[in-house]
Parts: sequence; structure tokens; C-alpha cells
Amino acid sequence: MHEFSIASEIWSSVAKAAQEHGGGRVRAVKLELGVLNLLADEQITFWIEMLAEQSGSPGVAVRVTHLPARVKCKTCGHDGETPLPEGELDHYLPPPVACAACGSREVAVTGGREIRVVSAEVERAAT
Amino acid sequence: MRIFETTDQGSIEVEIGEDIAARHEALTRRNHELFQQRGIRAFDVAGSVGAGKTSLIAALVARLSSRLGVAVIAGDVATTYDAERVAGKGARKVLQINTGGMCHLDAKLVYRAVQQLPESGIEVLFIENVGNLICPAGFNLGGEARIVVTSASEGAHVIEKHPAMFQSADLVVLNKTDIAAAVQVDLDRPAADLAAIRPGLPVVRTNLLTGEGVEEVLRLLKLG
Repeated sequence: MHEFSIASEIWSSVAKAAQEHGGGRVRAVKLELGVLNLLADEQITFWIEMLAEQSGSPGVAVRVTHLPARVKCKTCGHDGETPLPEGELDHYLPPPVACAACGSREVAVTGGREIRVVSAEVERAAT
Repeated sequence: MRIFETTDQGSIEVEIGEDIAARHEALTRRNHELFQQRGIRAFDVAGSVGAGKTSLIAALVARLSSRLGVAVIAGDVATTYDAERVAGKGARKVLQINTGGMCHLDAKLVYRAVQQLPESGIEVLFIENVGNLICPAGFNLGGEARIVVTSASEGAHVIEKHPAMFQSADLVVLNKTDIAAAVQVDLDRPAADLAAIRPGLPVVRTNLLTGEGVEEVLRLLKLG
């Protein structure tokens, strides 16, 4: 259910941008979500659709791109992307993060927690 | 903010580029700085509904308030029962936050509540999160440490089912040792699961009805 509070913030950000650009109906929202977020895509999408519908933008398309986990390894110094273990990424079970190069778990997470509102497609106001 | 023409002339693509996670991190840092400026040691107390969060806070406040200025912020979806239970234990201020449906506290709600505390004389603050073992995990309130309270009546597999919450903990309290046998739960199981997901994480077994284990919690929080 914490997806609702995040979706509300995403929608506020989108609604503000739409308002500043003519206030037309929002057709689509582009998001970049880090894979280490404790967020379920399906619920985020559902809540954004609901919030959009209630504020005059029914049928909004929510497009999610996932951003990889990135680490800086304290053991070997590797600095970059690290793959997560195979399998379904369930938001109840955040996967353990390890260094892609040496396998150490002594890592600082430098990416994968983003909740980025990239852009919104806004209808032109009728003139 | 940039605007792009879309292929469809009826709409425009508005670039927003805002990171909500970064915004949350900034709010967490703001709380951390506020606590430092005011000399407040803040502790986030999270855990299931009925685990014993309020009982733990009441016991800690009762032991600390004669020598330290203590305040409590109690978060719940509705009602003021928790604040009422802690009131009378000697805290200088007890505030209730009603989230009105939100399933966790966040840094912004806490910041607003802290504005209502006395500006000086508060040395320790306990922030009781909404009873929930899932949603608060991703929301750092900016305090010094997070205490997660769980209890025998939540079953033997509570840690495995909620790893994110326990991974976010700095101290875990295993409460209701007195009823473990009655509910057929061996507390060695959650203790072993904690050791597996967070080696070295301090764990204290308590019976908050009698106060067993409370001194150990104070010692580990360096409040003893």
C-alpha cells in the first residue's frame, strides 16, 4: 500500500507540469524505477491511473523502465552495474546485492533506488 | 524543463526529470540535521500491530524521564490511544500523528511534528511508526536508529516473511517471551533468521509486561 503515497507524489509532479503547459489531459507518464525499490510496478501503475482518472485524465498510459542496481565495492573497488539474482523481483523480498566483479557484499549501493518521473505527454489545449 | 513535440500534433511531451527517491533522501537529511541542531537523539520504533511498540516506548520513557528530556511522536492511521498510553510516564511532550490512511510515517510528517516540540530541552525522541512490517521499510525518518519490535505471537517465520523491514533495523526486540510456549513458537527460530539476514544485528528478548529486557535495550541504545 506504500505504493499509494509514492504514486501520489508522482502524480502531483506530473499534474504540476501539465498545469504549467496548458493544463491539458495527460495521456502518458514515463517513469524510471530502480530495481532495488520496494515498489510493485502493478500497484504504482494502478494508483497513477486512479489518480489521473479522478483529475480529468482517464486512460493515462504509465510506461515504466527499470534502472539497474549499481554498487561501489569496498573490497575490490568495482564501480558499476551489478546483476541481481535470476527470478521474479518481488517487492517483499529485495534481493541481496553483491559486487558483480568479486561477489563481496561489502558494497555501497550507488544506483537502483531511483523513482524518477521522466516526462509526461500532455494534450495541447484547444485554441 | 524542456518540451518536445510528439509525433502526434495534438500533444506535447513535457520533460520533468524529478526523482521522488532523491526528494525523500533530502527530507531524511533535513530531519537528521534538525535532530543534530537541537541535540535530539531520535529513534524510529517500527513493527507489527500489537507487537509491543507502545509498551516498549512507555517502558523506556518511564526509565529515562527523571534524567533526560524525552518526547514521543506516535503515528497511527486513526485514534489517540497510543499517545494516551505513553502520557503519564514523564515525557515532556507526547504528540499523536494520524496519517489518515497512510500505512507508514515519512520524513515530511515527522518534520512537521518536530516543529510542535519544545525548541529546547528534548534530548531523546521516540517516533512510533504505524503498525506495519512492510511499508515503513523504505522510508527512513532521519533518526539515529530504527528499532523493530516483533513478538512471539507473530509466528516462527515473521523474519523470513518480512526481510526488508528487518534489514532496515538497527536493533530488534523479540517481545512476549512469556507466551512463546503457549503459541508454540520457539524464539530461537526468528533469532537465527535475523542472524542469517543481518549478521551482528543486536537482538533483545523482552517481556514488556514485566519489564524484562528493557535495561538491555537502554544499554544497546547507549541510553543506559
